[in-house]
Amino acid sequence: MTELRLHRELYAGTAVDAAVKVYARFAAFELVEEASHWIVRVSSKNAARETQVARELANYALGTTIRERGGVQ
Amino acid sequence: MTTPLEGIPAELVTAELGAGSVHLRVDSQLYPLGAIYAAAYVFLDRCFVLLDRPDERNIRVTLAPKKAGADETILRTFVGEFSNELLSAAWRRQIAQDNRAVIEMVTSQAISAAMGPPSLDDLASFDFGDESFEDPLGIAMSWEEKYKKKDKPDADGTPDPEGKP
Repeated sequence: MTELRLHRELYAGTAVDAAVKVYARFAAFELVEEASHWIVRVSSKNAARETQVARELANYALGTTIRERGGVQ
Repeated sequence: MTTPLEGIPAELVTAELGAGSVHLRVDSQLYPLGAIYAAAYVFLDRCFVLLDRPDERNIRVTLAPKKAGADETILRTFVGEFSNELLSAAWRRQIAQDNRAVIEMVTSQAISAAMGPPSLDDLASFDFGDESFEDPLGIAMSWEEKYKKKDKPDADGTPDPEGKP
């Protein structure tokens, strides 16, 4: 299992949800909310695939957050 | 295991050569979050980018090149490119902030100009008051008004009303 810790001030919750929906067919996900972080646990039979999906998911969530918050000017 | 990159302060940048990734510590008081977002966005196609906030003041940026086999040289290149992009984004934001009033004024003028000439209703409600405005340099005066010959006074000191000598 790979755990992804995404800081709540830096990643929008809606962006994390959207990313999980996009990658749901590639791995199993468990979402947990902590006071400071969104925790996304990624599970897959293949460890390399698990890491790859986790990294792609983090990129997708970051890109969506930036677009949502109008961060690119 | 993290190792410093040669020539770069270890408290700012550390690399995980085994994982092919590098961590940058960015002072959020020097670089606003918007600038960090802008720089990160540029790298999303080439790197896996992860942001975290280890403490109140700093943001940690983790870059892992998508192409496998990133060695120290490649990681150092990414650190340099990201730093440049970050500085550029911060400066662009500063310029935009400084010129916000001008940008808004020009935009509003362009929009109002695009709306076309005023309608009869607009003219009817326009304030044509006689209140004068300050014109110390006489810019609003006509040429004739500004440079017309002044009446010469007569021998007794009273000016000729028709302006004849």
